[in-house]
Amino acid sequence: MNTRIIAKLDVKPPYVVKPVHFEGLRKVGFPFEMAKKYYDQGADEVVYIDIVSSLYQRDIIFDEIEKTANSLFIPFGVGGAVRSIEDFSKLFHLGADKVAINTYALQENPDIINQAAEIFGNQAVVVNIEAKKWDTYWECYSDCGRIQSGKNVIEWAKEVEERGAGEILLQSVDKDGRNRGFDLELCKIIVDLVDIPVVVASGAGSLEDIKEVIEYAKPSGVAIASLLHYDKATIKDIKEYLRENNIKVSR
Amino acid sequence: MSNIVGIVNYGIAGNIHSIKKAIKEAGGKTVIINKPEQFNEVDKLVLPGVGSFKDAMQELKNDGFLVALKDNKKPILGICLGMQILATVGFEYGKTAGLNFIDAEVNPMLVDAKVPHVGFNHIEIVNNNTLFNGLENEEFYFMHSFEVVNYTNIVTLTEYANHKFVSSVQKDNIYGVQFHPEKSREAGIQLFRNFINMEGEK
Repeated sequence: MNTRIIAKLDVKPPYVVKPVHFEGLRKVGFPFEMAKKYYDQGADEVVYIDIVSSLYQRDIIFDEIEKTANSLFIPFGVGGAVRSIEDFSKLFHLGADKVAINTYALQENPDIINQAAEIFGNQAVVVNIEAKKWDTYWECYSDCGRIQSGKNVIEWAKEVEERGAGEILLQSVDKDGRNRGFDLELCKIIVDLVDIPVVVASGAGSLEDIKEVIEYAKPSGVAIASLLHYDKATIKDIKEYLRENNIKVSR
Repeated sequence: MSNIVGIVNYGIAGNIHSIKKAIKEAGGKTVIINKPEQFNEVDKLVLPGVGSFKDAMQELKNDGFLVALKDNKKPILGICLGMQILATVGFEYGKTAGLNFIDAEVNPMLVDAKVPHVGFNHIEIVNNNTLFNGLENEEFYFMHSFEVVNYTNIVTLTEYANHKFVSSVQKDNIYGVQFHPEKSREAGIQLFRNFINMEGEK
């Protein structure tokens, strides 16, 4: 099966920003322009995460999302500040194919995963997990790696699968924005643990890092941000490199 | 010209917007169909996928579409769950009767791999069909946990984890694709173009 190569946009409306270690934001462009660029380069999907609205308890800002959806003919995932079935519904109507949820499900109401899966189908419900490594385990964080939950990542991953999530987007609070490679152990444990697809993010600093996580953990997809945003590599470069290394990717 | 495509709008979920956008990109016009009487305004129909097999059939019934779809002679393209409900029976959340346009049943994918099957994957054309003109060996975007089991109306097959499943069907005016052409780059636009350019019965 092809490993999906996904462009991830971390958005502080109206800009795509590059968080370093989930802190210190740098503006890198507008979401719809960057999404279109990655679409033209051959991305398999684009995922758009509003990284500030949840923290500021603000409503989702829909304009940029709709504009971005309109520039694509590939699947488009959206997350950030999703707090209700109405939010899911609104995002699907604006052109999202999948909606990712973290904070609200983790900290307040996990039942929303069951409800959303039943109404919109499992495949449309993604749970975004922000994992922070401690000595012997990983803890789930929310609000872009700022708020602790006390929940163990392994237990939570299993729980969200049982509740009907169709996919996990796995991020690492420690590795995010560092461009020094993925948390390989974490990726492997979660991919092996659940039967649903796992997309891994946080840490792609080079083509080798991407190859390494695919070979080691066999995720369904890899989400890539800064490597693309700073034009260190295009989607096309990444796919060519992986193909040369006998890793299957789509055209 | 017969390029006005009606997109059947039933239920609350689903991404009708992206189908509309892709058909427009392919050079067609679209009408969102909210009630069966509107079938007269269009040349062709698209049946999108919404939620589960069971809910989709219930919604079609509630909105009065069941009879209209059975009487329909225009070309109709079912997408994803919209293809699955063309079958005789589905086994998602219990056993539910489908539209019975295609002699098939819809079962969970049983493979030694992650389900849902998500991502771009190849199609293998086993019976030539105008819907796939110029699309030999192309890749399309899949996102599904169930598959249509049929032996008589297969147009394309797709392989996932050493398991071949039916990725599109056709019988008379009925077409179904398991993948999402609206999410499949230029190949998907071409498929809509082929659908728009087909001769249809008025």
